[in-house]
Amino acid sequence: MYGEGILKGLWVTLKHMVGTFVKDIKKFPRRYARGGILERTEYDLYGIFTCQYPEERYEMFPRFRGALMQLRNAETGEPNCTACGACERACPHGVISLEVEGKGKERVLKAYRYNLARCVFCRLCVESCRFDAIEMSHEYELSRYSNDFILEMDDLLALGDKYDVHKTGEAWGVSE
Amino acid sequence: MQILENLWIDIAQWIRGLFDSFLPQWAAQLVMDVLGILLLIVIGIVAVLAFTYMERKVIARVGDRIGPNRAGPLGIFQAIADAIKMLTKEDVTPTNADRWMFLAAPILIIIPAVLLYAVLPFGRGMVGVDVNIAVVFVVALGAIPILSMLMAGWASDNKYALLGAFRTVAQLLSYEIPMAIALLTVVLLAGTMSTVGIVGAQSSIPFILVTPAAFLVYFLAGLAELNRTPFDLLEADSEIVAGYFIEYSGMKFAMFFLAEFINFFMMAGMITTLFLGGWQWPILPSWLWFLIKTIAVIFVIMWIRDTVPRIRIDQMLSFAWKALVPVALANLFLVAFIAKLLEPGWLRTVAAFGSNIVLIGIALLLLGRASRRRKERAREAGEAAVKRYYASAESD
Repeated sequence: MYGEGILKGLWVTLKHMVGTFVKDIKKFPRRYARGGILERTEYDLYGIFTCQYPEERYEMFPRFRGALMQLRNAETGEPNCTACGACERACPHGVISLEVEGKGKERVLKAYRYNLARCVFCRLCVESCRFDAIEMSHEYELSRYSNDFILEMDDLLALGDKYDVHKTGEAWGVSE
Repeated sequence: MQILENLWIDIAQWIRGLFDSFLPQWAAQLVMDVLGILLLIVIGIVAVLAFTYMERKVIARVGDRIGPNRAGPLGIFQAIADAIKMLTKEDVTPTNADRWMFLAAPILIIIPAVLLYAVLPFGRGMVGVDVNIAVVFVVALGAIPILSMLMAGWASDNKYALLGAFRTVAQLLSYEIPMAIALLTVVLLAGTMSTVGIVGAQSSIPFILVTPAAFLVYFLAGLAELNRTPFDLLEADSEIVAGYFIEYSGMKFAMFFLAEFINFFMMAGMITTLFLGGWQWPILPSWLWFLIKTIAVIFVIMWIRDTVPRIRIDQMLSFAWKALVPVALANLFLVAFIAKLLEPGWLRTVAAFGSNIVLIGIALLLLGRASRRRKERAREAGEAAVKRYYASAESD
């Protein structure tokens, strides 16, 4: 019959439209309340699944690679970094640059700079670190209003405190 | 219920009484007429605001999205925000444009759109003016936008605009004909050309149940007249950017936009008036029934827009001339025959409905067979081309 396809198409679109309302009414307060995005990210053919970005955010999956962060020792609260420079050598883009003073046991970290603008989030620095000193955070809103893409040690430590991670791989659910 | 039913008429009479107390008879009448005209224009603009919002919400829900939700609760002020944006935008006229024509086109498109409201019966006794040639008025005014669209396209000095205008003329002229014939069928059944009379003739049974074929033809032709999907190829965003109004901006663009949506409401109102029994239905007040039916028709048109892809220009023309015009003519013949043969009553309704269903069935079968034949021919042509290619490759 001519025109059958159009009727089928109309049926499909109607089902989708009614489906969004049915879903909204079924889970009325929960779907748009705080944390409602979890209700909407469940796989389902029907219903609205829009993430209203600035108000709602998706939880990143554990192995998401965001900006670098410096980790602190769980007991002492001191940074784990020993200023060995392995991450600087491992980095393919010269993102990380260290300033060190002294030699051997006296080696002290003066400055640790992480250039966000050049980082490709490959995680080779984390792989090279033997002291559980750095890890990739879940931070993904990395744009800046001005050209200050270089994160200093304090910024990186603040990120580490924010995610409360003390061992490399902990955030990823991996014990190395 | 009676208070609600007569609400608007009572308000009108109260205002009339107010003016009668200190103005002479003719002056009070003049003031009332001007108020009526203003009211019709305001209805048009309010309808535009409401239906742009509704359209965006409906298309969003069909696509499993939320739609506008930033401006005000549930985004209800979105249309107003859009209107403010339009009004404050820079008004650009292209250097090589035909200046006066360029200025006149948006004005000429909005005047007939608003004028059409004059004959639309919004409720019992609520009509701008009850003329006995309302249907002719509608058809005649429906042809004026074609002129202004062509003017806009020509004056813009833009090839896409001109292309859109050419398509407009081809499409709207083609679809005027089945539309007028479908209107004629209704006029034949009602025995009057006045819209109020047509609504009155549907007091027992709406005409959609008497001649569904005329309804279908009018509905499809109406979609084409409104440039809605699937007949929106004259303002196809992805092909010719925006069609005839591509060079317009600011207030002039807003005029085209207004005219489009005023026509949208008008077309839905005409479908309601002609086929769905207008404002007649029990219990609820008449103007509410008119609104409900019109919004239902508008929803169906939006729903079709959200579903169906755009058709090609040759398909558009062949659909008008090879499908709609023959069906409309055959239906007119059938209905004229039945109306002459049988007295008004249940027998006539049943006979007209049955013959219409048969007519639609035959039309769909023939169209299906034609499309199958076309596919077959295309396949054969393709196979022949492949054979020729291999034959030439072997001979090389």
